[in-house]
Amino acid sequence: MESYEADQKWWRTRFIKGKMLLMIVLLVAFPFLVDKQWLSVAYTINYYILAALGVQLLIGYCGQVTLGHAAFVAVGGYCSCLMVMFLPWPEVLRHAGLAYPISMICAGLLAGVWSVLFGLPSARVKGFYLILTTMAAQWITVDLIIQQYVSQVGGRLQSFSIPTEALKVGPWLLKEPSEIGTWTLESDAKIYYLSVVVVAICLLATGNLLRSKFGRAWVAIRDNDIAAETMGVNIVWYKLIAFFVAGFFGGIAGAFHISTLSFVSPENYPWTYSLIWVGVILIGGVGSIQGLVFGSIFVVGVFKLLELGAGLVNIHLVEYYPQLEWLTMKVDILKDVTFGLAIILFLMYEPNGLSYRYWQLKNYFNLWPFSYQAK
Amino acid sequence: MDIFLQLVTTGILVGSVYGLVALGWVVIYKCSGVLNLAMGELTLIGGYVCLSLYSGFCLPLLSQTGFCYSGFVKWMGPGAALGLGVMGSLVVGFLLGLLTERLFLRKMIGEPILAVIMVTVGLSFFLKGIVFLVWDTDLRVFTPPVFPSTDLRIGGHLVDGVVRGGIGINQVYMWAFFASMLLMLAFILFFKYTRWGLAMQACADDEMAALSLGVSAKFVYALAWGIAFMSAGVGGTVLGNINGLNQSVSYLGLLVLPAVVFGGLNSVPGAIVGGITIGLIQNLAGGYLDQFFPGGIKEVAPFVFMVLFLLFKPYGLWGWERIERV
Repeated sequence: MESYEADQKWWRTRFIKGKMLLMIVLLVAFPFLVDKQWLSVAYTINYYILAALGVQLLIGYCGQVTLGHAAFVAVGGYCSCLMVMFLPWPEVLRHAGLAYPISMICAGLLAGVWSVLFGLPSARVKGFYLILTTMAAQWITVDLIIQQYVSQVGGRLQSFSIPTEALKVGPWLLKEPSEIGTWTLESDAKIYYLSVVVVAICLLATGNLLRSKFGRAWVAIRDNDIAAETMGVNIVWYKLIAFFVAGFFGGIAGAFHISTLSFVSPENYPWTYSLIWVGVILIGGVGSIQGLVFGSIFVVGVFKLLELGAGLVNIHLVEYYPQLEWLTMKVDILKDVTFGLAIILFLMYEPNGLSYRYWQLKNYFNLWPFSYQAK
Repeated sequence: MDIFLQLVTTGILVGSVYGLVALGWVVIYKCSGVLNLAMGELTLIGGYVCLSLYSGFCLPLLSQTGFCYSGFVKWMGPGAALGLGVMGSLVVGFLLGLLTERLFLRKMIGEPILAVIMVTVGLSFFLKGIVFLVWDTDLRVFTPPVFPSTDLRIGGHLVDGVVRGGIGINQVYMWAFFASMLLMLAFILFFKYTRWGLAMQACADDEMAALSLGVSAKFVYALAWGIAFMSAGVGGTVLGNINGLNQSVSYLGLLVLPAVVFGGLNSVPGAIVGGITIGLIQNLAGGYLDQFFPGGIKEVAPFVFMVLFLLFKPYGLWGWERIERV
């Protein structure tokens, strides 16, 4: 490569640009090609990608292990929900449909600041103790502050149900089908498009951040933070920035998520989800953006397959083996068992995750018919 | 002053149970360096196994065929049945610990620390799911109740033939305290006076040296996990006697983490002291600070304390300080 810029470009050849175009076409045409239930799977995958993005930044690129990310997603979700419902927006903004997107960004900023607050211990502790402080962040935020104070805003009991007119992006209401020309676009499809746009913007932003000064500093901190400090990297500053950016993306994930729910309650963000998102990046591969996508697709796909399997068992086998009915009633528990087993098996036998296998596959095709790259 | 003494007493009694579970955690960390986040589910398993041995058990898949086992309590009184149930859960816990270490953790020796922690997290999901598949998610209590529900009163005065005033000690807590102290004493004697205990101490002190002297590391790791399962099992049994067994017992098992942070990750007496301190903090915070927070602060107080403590003394009271070099 001739210049540093040309070397750092993401899409260097025309073949790659063609593949990107094909992917964009497929993503846009997706709602028209598949059944309606797969749209909810698709936007759940996107939600997991957004939520795990912060975790991947912190664990994979900066080396700070965090087990409390659901707290920041919850902060983002609640901030966006409260802003959309209670803030007196001027009519101009409401009609233009900018209330929800602006609230998303504000939710991200608030979650980022909150994340920095709980990232402050990283200046003093590392490793296992940082895991404990982030776990404490999870419990203090969701179980104490959100459950007891924020949920009570406005005199409601425990959950906010969001009115449908509040979620408006541009001229399109998210919760109701709308007409475009002669087509009707279902609400699920609109939420899916919103998720694709948000995920694309966030992943591009993260990719840019990672090939800049920040990304290099984070990788230095991950590999050997004492050596990084002796080389002049201000590790406390960059660690706090990492927490802020991770919280920012978590907040955006939370703000996006409320458009898929009919009501927001603290039970949507238990500690289990923090662990699931760490599991997502471990299954997909720590330290790479494709790892996020692969991990999310795997985890959400496995959950969906379990549900489908339970449904099939319910329909076909229950007449012959009535004892198996308890399987279908306990699908949630089966999901937990499968997820736990998946994490354990991946960490034992495939510690580099799915993105390593993808890289091997890509290399096989890139180098064929040779088997390695000669110097 | 009465309330303060009452809270302190209850705190110490409950804290001894946390200390017992923390002891199991520290044994695993000392001997094999594994930071175990599945402690909550280990307490669950021990509690449910004891419950099944005590009051009977039907295998879910074969319940149509009537393969049921009626439980110890049908043959003997509640006290003896609970004692036998605890013995049974100790044996089952030990075997499960050996099995867990062999299946899941043998391959993770030498892997980076995040991978090992996440394997224990995966183990916690897996064990929790298995427990809820076999026994339902409803609240299960020990029927017939083992301990009488009237409180013991200390330091009160006799009124109409019944002692009133003074400090009330729930009988369950008292027996929990005795059980924890007994088991802790048993473990300390085991470490000090038996060959296997000495081997574990050697491995915890300096693994290379112990290996070169003929101590088998795999044996020590397996023993460590067995001990952790046993201690967590007894902890789960007594906690289950207090309020019934369901998912909340696993949250109590997570309280072991602030306890070991306070006492020092590497120290067994630190774990016991840490457990008692966490019990004290929980009860005192619950008693005095509950009025300021609408939903109660009892669950969160140990973690807040832990975060504050980590900022001042990260290695705990008796922990070893890690000196890092480039």
